[in-house]
Amino acid sequence: MSTLKFILNNYNNVLFLMWEHIYMVGISLLIATAIGVPLGIIITKNENLARKVINSANIMMTVPSIALFGLMMPALALIGQGLGKVPAIIALILYSQLPIIRNTYVAIKNVSPSIRNAGKGMGMNRWELLKEVEIPIAIPVIVAGLRTAAVMNIGIAAIAAYVGAGGLGVYIQNGIDRVYPEMILAGALLVSIFAILVDASMALLERVLTPTGLQVQKRLSQ
Amino acid sequence: MISYDHLTKIFGEGQDAVTALEDVTFTIEKGETVIFLGPSGCGKTTTLRLTNRLESITRGSIKVNGQNIMEMDAVQLRRQMGYVIQDIGLFPNKTIAENIAVVPKLLEWPKAKIQDRVDELLTMVRLDPQIYRNRYPAELSGGQQQRVGVARGLAADPEILLMDEPFGAIDPINREEIQDEFLKLQEDLKKTIAFVSHDIHEAIKMGDRIALFEKGRLVQYEKPEILLTQPKNKYVSDFVGADRALKVLGIIRVGDMYNPNPKNTVQGSNSAQSVLNSMEQRKDNFCIVLDQGKPAGYVTKKMVKYEEGPVREVAEKFPVHLRDRSPARDALSFMLMYDFLTLCVVDSRGNFKGTLTYDDIQTTIRESYASELEHQKEGQNEHTEIHS
Repeated sequence: MSTLKFILNNYNNVLFLMWEHIYMVGISLLIATAIGVPLGIIITKNENLARKVINSANIMMTVPSIALFGLMMPALALIGQGLGKVPAIIALILYSQLPIIRNTYVAIKNVSPSIRNAGKGMGMNRWELLKEVEIPIAIPVIVAGLRTAAVMNIGIAAIAAYVGAGGLGVYIQNGIDRVYPEMILAGALLVSIFAILVDASMALLERVLTPTGLQVQKRLSQ
Repeated sequence: MISYDHLTKIFGEGQDAVTALEDVTFTIEKGETVIFLGPSGCGKTTTLRLTNRLESITRGSIKVNGQNIMEMDAVQLRRQMGYVIQDIGLFPNKTIAENIAVVPKLLEWPKAKIQDRVDELLTMVRLDPQIYRNRYPAELSGGQQQRVGVARGLAADPEILLMDEPFGAIDPINREEIQDEFLKLQEDLKKTIAFVSHDIHEAIKMGDRIALFEKGRLVQYEKPEILLTQPKNKYVSDFVGADRALKVLGIIRVGDMYNPNPKNTVQGSNSAQSVLNSMEQRKDNFCIVLDQGKPAGYVTKKMVKYEEGPVREVAEKFPVHLRDRSPARDALSFMLMYDFLTLCVVDSRGNFKGTLTYDDIQTTIRESYASELEHQKEGQNEHTEIHS
């Protein structure tokens, strides 16, 4: 109850931190998609490169987020961006790469060879085949990757408060420092609700973007 | 017309190199269906995939209507050829109409023309456009999907159709049906077709010619009946099977071997006794009764012996009549089933054209193995005279 009161009393501040959180996660997801999806598609043509890229993304993911902020700080300090939103967004982009690249790669790879063979044999060029067939068939799995990345990033963005990036993590961090349980809970609760909402809306997006033909196929195979 | 000239294909390099095709030379004439036949790994599919440049040629050349395909743009070349594959490969995200429209769309046909063409093709492959146009591949049975696959291959009305075991994944009953439909279509369309199959029955049924491959080499390139009757070596005769005499029965038609002027026919108005007399003169126990140009039935000596009136009143009806186009196999099957050694051949209006006897079939088969095809035809003529 007291947590709810805290939120209502600090209404304006809550909205501001929430906006910061959404901004960080949103912008990083957009950039990560712009990098990860094309990269995931390109590496389907080269097994060797695919292994290297996916391994790198894997290693990236194993670095604990707080350590990553620490590692980036001296490098970004050179351009005067050691603290704040820039390291946070860069970290979020890096963490998003694995689910996005891997899902894109797997989804395109999983398009049945006979479909690709038929398209090629009928005289579709590489781009036409991608645009007309491979991407539409892969889209549900690609969006599922974005969904994982988005939900994960909401959590990581909460930690970014330690490098002064703002967002709802500020409440958790300050609350711990000041031993202020209502503040900690408010931050934790809001981050959780935000994550659940994003997860649900990405699930909806996944469904909307799935071509009707694939939905029919799925329904009939059940 | 597609001509393959000293075609060789080697996959891989150095130590891993595998020769998939070696020095293959043959020509597919315009409007003919040629079956590429052989066990898996014999090079038949490779030959097909070289034709639309899905694989690259190592040595030799392929010419389509005299033009070397290596001098053409690969994508343009493929758009000029219909392509139908075993796994069908319909695009699950597109409707049936969109699937069929792929190549016309790539060729940038106007929308209305594409729509008309889609409906025309769906009707052609016996799928109601009203019902199927906007459905998705997942909603169709395997046989229906393959019909759509064929329609898609024919969409831009290509002169050449490449088919890679197109009916291989369909159950036997539907396969027969779709093969029959396709044969009927091809009668009108007269496409030049390269058709990969591993099934000798399908090859005999569908092919104007058969190219039989073994380990990357073309062993024999011939008409089906010659492949069956004059296999070049043991591999060919093994491949066509020990029952190749029976397979020949599937190719030879009743029209090729029936007797148009049998002597053992009488008019229905003749009296029973005169028929008995003529049978005794010919030392025969079987007579076909004709009535107004149609076979009314048959009589034996026993049946007419004590009869007085016109013979048509005692004649027994035949259980079945044969048609020109019926395969010899069907005729033989009827003979065995109904225990008849002679059956009548009739035209589409039921008029009597002649008779076919068990001996006719046997002689035809025996002779087809004995000699060349030209010879064979003469043989058949002689033989009909002997029996008339």
